[in-house]
Amino acid sequence: MSIPKLEFPPFHLPAEAEALRGEVRAFLKETLPKIQSEDRFASWNTPSPEFSRALGAKGWLGITWPKQYGGAERSFLDRLVVTEELLGNSAPAGSHWVADRQSGPLLLKFGTEQQRQAILPRIVRGECYFSIGMSEPDSGSDLASVRTRAEPVPGGFRVNGTKVWTSGAHRNHYCITLVRTSGQHGDRHKGLSQLLVDLKTPGVTIRPIINLAGRHDWNEVTFSDAFIPEDCLIGNEGDGWLQVTSELAFERSGPERFMQNVYVLRELVRVLGRQPAKRTSAILGRLIARLWTLRQMSTAVAGMMQGGKSPAIEASLVKDLGTIYQQDLPEIARTLAESDATTEDDLADFLDVAQYASMMAPSYTIQGGTTQVLRGIVARGLGLR
Amino acid sequence: MDRDTRDMLLETASRFFAERAGKDIVNGVEKGVWPADLWKEIEEMGLPLIAVPEEQGGVGGTLADLMALLRVAGEYAVPVPVAETALANLLVAAAGGKPAGGPSTVALGELSFQGNRVSGKVARVPFAGVAERFVSIVTAGGTSTLVVVPREAVAIEDTPSHAGEPYGTVTFDGATPEFSAATPISAERALELAALARTMQMAGAADKVLATATEYCKQRVQFGRPISTFQAIQHMLAELASYVAATIASAESAARDADEGGLEKGGSFSIAAAKTQGSDFAHRIAALSHQSMGAMGFTHEHILHHYTRRLWVWRRDFGSESFWGEKIGESYARAGKDELWPALSESRYAA
Repeated sequence: MSIPKLEFPPFHLPAEAEALRGEVRAFLKETLPKIQSEDRFASWNTPSPEFSRALGAKGWLGITWPKQYGGAERSFLDRLVVTEELLGNSAPAGSHWVADRQSGPLLLKFGTEQQRQAILPRIVRGECYFSIGMSEPDSGSDLASVRTRAEPVPGGFRVNGTKVWTSGAHRNHYCITLVRTSGQHGDRHKGLSQLLVDLKTPGVTIRPIINLAGRHDWNEVTFSDAFIPEDCLIGNEGDGWLQVTSELAFERSGPERFMQNVYVLRELVRVLGRQPAKRTSAILGRLIARLWTLRQMSTAVAGMMQGGKSPAIEASLVKDLGTIYQQDLPEIARTLAESDATTEDDLADFLDVAQYASMMAPSYTIQGGTTQVLRGIVARGLGLR
Repeated sequence: MDRDTRDMLLETASRFFAERAGKDIVNGVEKGVWPADLWKEIEEMGLPLIAVPEEQGGVGGTLADLMALLRVAGEYAVPVPVAETALANLLVAAAGGKPAGGPSTVALGELSFQGNRVSGKVARVPFAGVAERFVSIVTAGGTSTLVVVPREAVAIEDTPSHAGEPYGTVTFDGATPEFSAATPISAERALELAALARTMQMAGAADKVLATATEYCKQRVQFGRPISTFQAIQHMLAELASYVAATIASAESAARDADEGGLEKGGSFSIAAAKTQGSDFAHRIAALSHQSMGAMGFTHEHILHHYTRRLWVWRRDFGSESFWGEKIGESYARAGKDELWPALSESRYAA
């Protein structure tokens, strides 16, 4: 058979990472009750500068980065453990999330020395937050079709265009923006560049896009003759596509793809009481087994990456399965609670929780690469296209 | 055994199964033809003794070695009791005994053992129709006893599995074992080990299903082009791959945990979770692979059913997703919500 074999070699997180887990857990136990959060059940999209600063003070942001930029030069697996604990304990990690996970690493890889020195230590302290300026009204999954144009002018670029779904732009400091610096709209991957945009720049207008749950996470960011200085170019002019695709690789198989709504499972356990009926236990157990499996898969992918491999297909499969699990979870939990909740009050409360989770669920299979895009990647890996 | 030795063994086994346990052999077993030559060669290769210590006449491999072999056996739908005999032998060795030759199986269920007599009935014993001896563990009052009962001492009612393998209901009516001994392996643990064996066989079979469906769709031409070029088919196979991946990953993790934690208790939770997961997704794997192959895959002529039917049978063997899921759910409910993540992150039962 000529198709590549799917492999998920079981991987143990090293002892020092597990030791760190204990520290993080203890910190969260002490800190979380004192933190104000806008969500009853927080996750990686719940902002809290207060929490991010506290985490930064522990040295757990930019944990893998070089010491010269304030990092701890710890392993990528240590970072994984911190991430798992933030998600597993429903910490409001939204303020620093993108900066720590995606923008910082991008600057480290492609940014200028000046950019790194100016920005990375602030991210590490939990004080500097980022948005992602990729999607546009006419460019979603087809990112290479972006129209936002940065026209070279003396000392920098004049930027015109519109970005959408820009999470947190109204409260974050910077937005790494994918723009066309040369060529035409139809040139696809050529002529794209990334700019480090200060969201306070004159000519940059931020308007809310309210999502179906009434939340203001997204924004529309409009550039009208906004002047971006030349020292804000990230990497080389014209290398934007290469940089963006490497950035997207950070977006796939992490625990955020199956632990964003772990609170539903936790609350389900609570509402079902200590001795549910056999049938109920069995369904609960199946949900737990799915979550456990996803964690094994994600850890295996981390192990492969640590070993220098780039398991793109496996990572895509984790996101596909993980996000669909997160969509199934509130539905299964809701019906289970309806028949088996121990008290009426608990049930009413839980149904509100589950309802909210169901409402948020469509976003999981859209953000960070839709299920359909992922399946295209997997199909290519299977040699089908 | 070391990594290289194991890889070599697996490669040899893989080639051997491909050559000697082909379609006709699998179909033959369904018609009641016992492939005596195949079994003889499997014994000559030492496969049923892979996890038995050398001083007890075995190959001296680990539980992990055995499980890796069973994944390969699953990949070829090997229609003889490699898993059952290897497991029976492992249990005999753990009780200090020396495994005998010949096909054996495990009869795991409610049995009593008093005055050197075994009594009780176990349904759906795999390969009961061909096993020369039945190995079981009776746990009573906190102590466990392994019993090996010869075929002559039991009554067997044939109840072939839906994959056409000679399963049966075995009645022990005061049967005298040919060997019995105290064992550190409880009846419950024996069931876990058997469930683990099935998860690895399911992983192998799932892998083969994906490969079979993928190859088929690349060959099959409709509307003037290979159907693999249709996005609908591509996405179906990608989804299939995700369930196959989950089956493989959970099985491999459970095998690792079982091996590292020791024969007597290792990977208890992981096995339960993996058997739950594998059994849960067996249906989706079967459904998507059959859908992608249309009527062709639904024929007896094609080999796809060798694998999909086994997935349907194996998900039920040694505890289904309901059985193991209930154990997990019960434990996590008892422990309460705050134990959920700590227990899950350590791959253990919560209470």
